[in-house]
Amino acid sequence: MFASILVNGLVNSVILILTALGFSLTFGLSRVANFAVGGLYLFAGFAAWIFLRILGLPYAVAILLAIILTGILGAIIYQVLLVRVRGIELSEVIATFAVGVAILETFRWAGFVTYEFNLPSFFKGRLEILGTVIDYQRLIVIGVGLFLAVALWWFTHHTKIGLGLRGIAQDEHTALTLGIESDWAAMLSVAIGSALTAVAAVVILPLGIISINVGYEVLLLAIAVSVLGGLESTVGLVIAGLILGYAQVLTANFLGPQWMLVVYLAAIVTVLAVRPSGLLGRFKEIEERV
Amino acid sequence: MLKVRNLSIFYENALALNSMSLDVNAGEIVGLFGSNSAGKTTLMNTVAGLTLDLKIKEERKGGERITVTGQVNFEGADILNVPPSHRVAQGIVLCRERHPVFRDSTVDENLRISGYTRTRAETRARINQVYDLFPHLVRLRHRRAGLLSGGEQQMLAIGMTLVAHPRLLLLDEPLLGLSPAMQGEIVRAMKDIRQQGIAILVTEQYARPIFPVIDRGYVMENGTLITSGTGMELMDNPEVKSAYFGM
Ligand SMILES: Nc1ncnc2c1ncn2[C@@H]1O[C@H](COP(=O)(O)OP(=O)(O)OP(=O)(O)O)[C@@H](O)[C@H]1O
Ligand SMILES: [Mg+2]
Repeated sequence: MFASILVNGLVNSVILILTALGFSLTFGLSRVANFAVGGLYLFAGFAAWIFLRILGLPYAVAILLAIILTGILGAIIYQVLLVRVRGIELSEVIATFAVGVAILETFRWAGFVTYEFNLPSFFKGRLEILGTVIDYQRLIVIGVGLFLAVALWWFTHHTKIGLGLRGIAQDEHTALTLGIESDWAAMLSVAIGSALTAVAAVVILPLGIISINVGYEVLLLAIAVSVLGGLESTVGLVIAGLILGYAQVLTANFLGPQWMLVVYLAAIVTVLAVRPSGLLGRFKEIEERV
Repeated sequence: MLKVRNLSIFYENALALNSMSLDVNAGEIVGLFGSNSAGKTTLMNTVAGLTLDLKIKEERKGGERITVTGQVNFEGADILNVPPSHRVAQGIVLCRERHPVFRDSTVDENLRISGYTRTRAETRARINQVYDLFPHLVRLRHRRAGLLSGGEQQMLAIGMTLVAHPRLLLLDEPLLGLSPAMQGEIVRAMKDIRQQGIAILVTEQYARPIFPVIDRGYVMENGTLITSGTGMELMDNPEVKSAYFGM
């Protein structure tokens, strides 16, 4: 029982962290809170489904195309909607939120609502860890999560574009004087974040079916992570992911799986009531002083 | 190399620059002196393109607040509508006032970020030159820039502009808030930078510390040019002497 909670909680946490990674990265690099994540997540899932099932492309190609296309969609959302309201946070939130809901409701309207919408696992089979059975797809999720963590660190610390993006994130005007274009950087950060959300979608969706509700769950998760973790820091994302991930598994074990979604809402309400600056508000201050 | 002609800038209805004209020739260090809100930063930001960027971003949001008239020429071409990143590529690099650095990044990372418009090899070579120019920074290279003292941040900020490979370096109040020793260090660096063939336009409120290195100077008040000339000529003007040299 204990071991199963430990293992499942960890797997679940990694799933949540991976799902919110794109959202968090975009915010960290350009201060755009892209609440279209839920829509982008499902867009990636349905795109992969269409490429695979309708067009009959190889699975790997379908996945790759879905990721690229979602990145492009992110760039378009930035260019069409966000460029003009840049820096007006409320407008950014409303605009991205509206796009996300519009994408989700368009799929509902187009009839993407039945059980036939699912993606196959990459490999069939399962494994036993500490007496807990885990299927390969969940291990792949963890592997992809670890790989992306390393890859993103390398990208933001050792490539010219990644360094430039971090410059813009820290001080836009100084970055401008060094030749780093802020508009281009912001568009790129939204596109990369969207593509990361798509990566999460294509590795996580094979665990269940692709349904409109999943999109709303992702949206809720993004809000919960941003309230809990305080957004900017990767540490915040990881801690929020672990808290939510384990809270969900405990809830599912002791209260029943139908209560899992309530965890997000309870976490959001509790944190806002007790510590509106986010759990990490304090940590950040300390970090500043160190 | 830089020719500013009749440059006027209005923020809303307030006149920040009033028909300002100024030249910087290759290899020169030119001073621009004026007290608070004289318009020094406005001029520097306009030459570097930040004003254009601000104007475009405000217009996008539906405001029409900033008006720019006149000319800014760099090596014969009008650059008033050239975006800041292209100006950097052409060799105009600004070091903004109050030693701006990327606070959460290490010193070394700040310098690497600054090589954005240059190749990797060029950036590496230039970073080494910066450490030669400011040996003090070497032992701080892995420290977060936000933790450096003001003087160290100013050295880093100038170092960052050098990595971007300027041909015209704009220094906005580089001595502000520094101890006399640190001011001496920055002035020495300015001489070194000129030796490398880089022209410098530098603003200050107080002319004395950089007086020994400037070739020519301009004095402005409330956005208007008061007088200009070589260092000696400025010193001969009694009003300028008392206001900007404290004598
Ligand atoms: N973005 C802006 N919006 C409105 N007014 C501005 C803006 N930037 C500068 N000004 C105004 O333009 C005038 C000139 O300011 P500027 O910053 O160029 O002066 P300065 O000579 O650099 O002064 P200091 O020595 O204090 O840095 C000031 O009256 C200032 O209030
Ligand atoms: Mg100023």
